[in-house]
Amino acid sequence: MTTKSLERVCYVEDDEDIQRIVRMSLERIGKMKVEIVGDPMVAIDAIVGFKPDLVMLDWMMPGMDGPTLFRRMQENPQTKDLPVVFITAKSTPTELDELRSLGALGAISKPFSPKELPQQLQALWNALP
Amino acid sequence: MSTEAAPTTTYTGEFAVPADHAPAADPTRQILADRVEQLYRQSVPGTLLTLFVGAIITVELWTSFYRDLTVIWWLITIAISAARYGLYRAYLERVDHDEKKWLRWMAIGALAAGVNWGIASAVIFPSHTDNQQVFLAFILAGLISGGIALFASVWWTYAIYAVGIILPFTYVLANSGSRMFVELALLMPVFYLANVVVAYRLDHVFTSGFKAREDYRGVAQEQKVMTAQIEEQLQELLNARREVEASGRKLSLFAERAPIAVLEFDANATVLEMNPAAENLFGYALGELVGRNALQMLFPADELGINESWWRDFLSGVEPATFSRLRCLRRDGLDIMCEFTLTPLVNDEDDVISVIAQGRDITQQIEAERLKKEFTSTLSHELRTPLTSIIGSLQLINSGVLGDVEKDVSELTTIAERNGQRLLDLINDLLDIEKIESGKFTLAPEVVSIDSLLRDTLVLNKGFADRYHVQLAIGKDLAPAKVEADPKRLVQVVTNLLSNAAKFSPEGGAVDVTLKLDGDRVRVGVHDRGPGIPDAFRSRIFSRFAQADSTATRQKGGTGLGLAICKRLIELMHGSIGFEDRPGGGSTFYFELPVLGDKAVSNLEQLGAAQ
Repeated sequence: MTTKSLERVCYVEDDEDIQRIVRMSLERIGKMKVEIVGDPMVAIDAIVGFKPDLVMLDWMMPGMDGPTLFRRMQENPQTKDLPVVFITAKSTPTELDELRSLGALGAISKPFSPKELPQQLQALWNALP
Repeated sequence: MSTEAAPTTTYTGEFAVPADHAPAADPTRQILADRVEQLYRQSVPGTLLTLFVGAIITVELWTSFYRDLTVIWWLITIAISAARYGLYRAYLERVDHDEKKWLRWMAIGALAAGVNWGIASAVIFPSHTDNQQVFLAFILAGLISGGIALFASVWWTYAIYAVGIILPFTYVLANSGSRMFVELALLMPVFYLANVVVAYRLDHVFTSGFKAREDYRGVAQEQKVMTAQIEEQLQELLNARREVEASGRKLSLFAERAPIAVLEFDANATVLEMNPAAENLFGYALGELVGRNALQMLFPADELGINESWWRDFLSGVEPATFSRLRCLRRDGLDIMCEFTLTPLVNDEDDVISVIAQGRDITQQIEAERLKKEFTSTLSHELRTPLTSIIGSLQLINSGVLGDVEKDVSELTTIAERNGQRLLDLINDLLDIEKIESGKFTLAPEVVSIDSLLRDTLVLNKGFADRYHVQLAIGKDLAPAKVEADPKRLVQVVTNLLSNAAKFSPEGGAVDVTLKLDGDRVRVGVHDRGPGIPDAFRSRIFSRFAQADSTATRQKGGTGLGLAICKRLIELMHGSIGFEDRPGGGSTFYFELPVLGDKAVSNLEQLGAAQ
């Protein structure tokens, strides 16, 4: 269990409205530094450049979906150890099991509560060994 | 074809007995009646014989000294004969069946006839010449012997008849002064006894004969009943045959006009018969498939091995089987997915002699299911994503992290957030019910302390109840109980019951939550003080989109899906759900779940830890 506080979060999401809400939530309530990436095709470079503590991925995105991006990250030595949390509209136990089997740290269902999002991420971060 | 049976007559040799002549309920009485009837039948020739013999005697003795006496005797004879004939007529026209009475009258008639001949012997015999006496003696002997034939069916009537003749005649002979006549008088009792014995034996012969006839009547009646039964059974068989033929025609029509394909195969999967729907399904005409192997003709060649395998398994099972997805091949080379039910027809040795297959093309249905799944997935994503933005934005504004907003604006954004949440609940409910009903809903069961879960859920719903000014109450010392359930879904059920109770409770009212252990089950009750459940709504309260009053949807909110989902969720957790009127007004909604024992809790927790 880590004691370091979660400070830097990178979020890959194609929906600009949700990008803005997440940024507001994490920056204003969670006091975190946030990097938003709208295009999953350039996400790896952005993540490497930003050096986040944790990466949040949307599931369904044009060009490349979240799970594919996650696998790409695992193949890249610079990103393979980064904890990843999915933000998804999928919410059945089967779908969440599928996410965990990929090696994700966790999943947060859409629609999420912006008030509680920083706290949820911090809880997942704290659970890291 | 006529089904009428010919009328039955049974022939018995000399005379015919109608088969419908029912045997008497009392055979002994019937045999007596037959014997009496025989006596009366014989009385007519007996009377005629008496008159004939009497006339000869009268003529023969006309020239004798005692003509007047002879005439008087002849007149008495005529009177007795007339009386006997009158008795015969009365017997024929009788309305009663008192056989003993008619027998008594016949005995009196026999005695009168016998005594009349006795008088002839006593009065006329001594006063005539030797030749005439011989003539009379011969006649009397003949009358005594002939009486056997007339009266033997009841032997003692003969004994009475004969004694009437013999006693006066014997007396006259004994006192005739002639040694020869005296000796003859001595022989008369012996002659009498010999004749009575003969009559007695003949009586037995008659009785046996009548008994045999009575028995025959019984047999004939039984035969008649049996014949009627056979006729009835024959008729039933004919009716059954007509019904079978009608059923056959109906089945044939069903098969011909049924929208589903019906085929018949032998045990080698050779096509024997098929209906027009099967022709349409596979694109083959009947003549093109009959005699051909179905596994080779109607299924893709690359799956022949697989299909032969399940065919063998099906035949060895000798039970009907349904194959919900079989990939079939049409004549035009098009792949289709079919659902088939195969029913084997077996003989007494359990050998499959034929297989009836009923099936349909489900290709479009599968495609529709796929589209529905895709639509549900799209609905889920495309609706939730904008709602994330809407509800998230409003929550951020309403939380105050963006700074203070004007009161009117705050009220409106609060309304917008609440209705956004309501829309989200509707979407979630629709997705839930769709998943449950399509069998794709899965639970994440674990050991749950239901008492703790209830307390936590009450806290979660306090804000909602406050909006309706309703107080949620739960006992402080609930019995601890553990169940195997999906906690998230169980909270959903309790939340739904609490929110319904709050919405329909009067302002300032209370909703009580109780928990009771009942054997191996735990019962959770949510008691409100609302208006109760209308009678017309009770039967469909757990149906989808059920609302007691359509205006309630707008007044109270909700989709009408909540209780339907609750019912299905509780049933998926092996429980039951229901409602009842609350004494004093209001309703109680409850659900019951199986309680886990300590051992089961331990096993499940170990299993959960291992996973």
